[in-house]
Amino acid sequence: MTTIPLQAYLILALILFCIGLFGALTKRNTIIVLICIELMLNAVNLNLVAFSQLGNNPGITGQVFSLFTITIAAAEVAVGMAILIAWYRHKNGVNVDEMDGLKD
Amino acid sequence: MDIQTLLSFEWGMMAPEFTILIVGILLSLLDLFGKDTWKKSLPWLAVGGVGVAIIFLLFQYGHGDISILGNTYVFDSFAFYFKLILLIATLLILLMVISRTVQQEVRDRGEYLYLLLAALLGGMMVASGGDLISLFVGLELLSLSSYIMVGLRKRDVRSSEGAMKYLINGSIATAFTLFGMSYVFGLTGSTKLVDIAREMSGSLGSGEPVAIIGFIIMFVGLAFKISTVPFHMWTPDVYEGAVTPVSAFLSVVSKSAGFIIIVRIFWGIFGNATFGGSDTLFATMIDFIAVLAFLTMFIGNLVALRQRNMKRLLAYSSIGHAGYILIPLVSLTPVSLENIWFYLLAYAFMTIGAFMVIYILEQQKQSEDISIFTGLYRESPALAIIMTIFLASLAGIPGTAGFIGKFNIFVGAVAADPAQYILAGTMAVMTVVSYIYYFNIMVQMYIRKPQLEGTTKIARLQSVPLILCVAGTIGLGVFPFIALNFFH
Repeated sequence: MTTIPLQAYLILALILFCIGLFGALTKRNTIIVLICIELMLNAVNLNLVAFSQLGNNPGITGQVFSLFTITIAAAEVAVGMAILIAWYRHKNGVNVDEMDGLKD
Repeated sequence: MDIQTLLSFEWGMMAPEFTILIVGILLSLLDLFGKDTWKKSLPWLAVGGVGVAIIFLLFQYGHGDISILGNTYVFDSFAFYFKLILLIATLLILLMVISRTVQQEVRDRGEYLYLLLAALLGGMMVASGGDLISLFVGLELLSLSSYIMVGLRKRDVRSSEGAMKYLINGSIATAFTLFGMSYVFGLTGSTKLVDIAREMSGSLGSGEPVAIIGFIIMFVGLAFKISTVPFHMWTPDVYEGAVTPVSAFLSVVSKSAGFIIIVRIFWGIFGNATFGGSDTLFATMIDFIAVLAFLTMFIGNLVALRQRNMKRLLAYSSIGHAGYILIPLVSLTPVSLENIWFYLLAYAFMTIGAFMVIYILEQQKQSEDISIFTGLYRESPALAIIMTIFLASLAGIPGTAGFIGKFNIFVGAVAADPAQYILAGTMAVMTVVSYIYYFNIMVQMYIRKPQLEGTTKIARLQSVPLILCVAGTIGLGVFPFIALNFFH
């Protein structure tokens, strides 16, 4: 069943993580930024699941860890959306560029 | 796992955590269903809960190490001493919340309290976490509660902006931490710190590069919590956007929790991992942390020079202090842990005190600019002298807690093997630089004339946290051995 080597999963996760990081740092729409952060967290899940199946000492721990990660990522996005709505009421937009009220 | 094994654990050791949890749930229920007349006393319930938790914790002084649920929760002396800092700091911040005289700031008073307690619970779980999963969940409980607390003043655009910036930065940092953790898990196949340390103490072989990548990514992610380079840019914006007690909370409790998790993970795991045959992996990576400490001290103190907003100024100064506390991690002497603990304790008293003075003036003058201190000595000599004590401690003048903390770190860095002369020198130079902006506030207070005639009064409730913080700052400065003997 597992003919795909571990390295392939790890490289895929690394690419996903980098895409997510790039998007989070460059995108202007806050919702896209939050989605990109989700992408980074999902790269972590991929890593954990791949390691728990194919890594040293395979076991169920990695899968449990990824369940916790998924749950907390969901909580994080919920809080993020709530704060974003509060922000939207002030500015009528979700553009990251407009978050320039606080600076030196 | 059957019921017998579950009951055989020493659940009593979790009494402080349970107290905070129960009080937090009780507060949220009372806030939801209680009568409005009760709600005035809710903050005192929170204070009482934290007080009871401190008493429970003090009963555990000197108790042997135990672990619950297969090392998920561990109690050791490290957890004990650092939990004490978290609890004392939260108690002072709750007293600060109670002292509020201007009511319109945060209407939803109850939410504020149980979010503070939830964040504290997260910090305490971090202090006692013996498993990557429980450490991560504790850290996220702390982070998520903090995001909401920063954004709680939702009618203020600065608050929403600060919260959004905090959340985006924090989530990226979380992703980094987790990515590093996933590599550490992959190398060892376990999430328990004890097992990871055992697996890593053998030869890592071809896993060495992965371990190094995991180390760096995890450290970069956790640098967010302690607001050091490269994740420090959120600090001033978030402190400015948040209500002052929340800024104090982020500056003290959140930062302490960050140092706790760093010490726990990096000394616990990488301090045992052999690298290249002889050294531990942590010892080979101290140059990396040294560079971060250097940059953090440098940036924090230099940028603070041109700040006019008091909360931004304290934010940059807190970045500088985080840089100082990284030095014991680099110097790795037997007293490093003691130095970190003492500095964090001293830092808690002096920073909360300084934030408290700003909070009092901010409510009276409706401003956060440095001009709120202009002519303070004529308006209220007591407040000016109290602020001078905190500033002297932050600057590291002898006779205060800040001096002892800085002195210990400096000596530790010079006595280390190999001696960290560059870091010790940078610390000395940056301390002198920090005099400029701390003393600038004193010049405002004593030499300038007040813009408006009038006196500033300290309300009775406001004096409670001030007196406690002054007592802590002076007490630790004059009798540091009480705290240091307590630590052994």
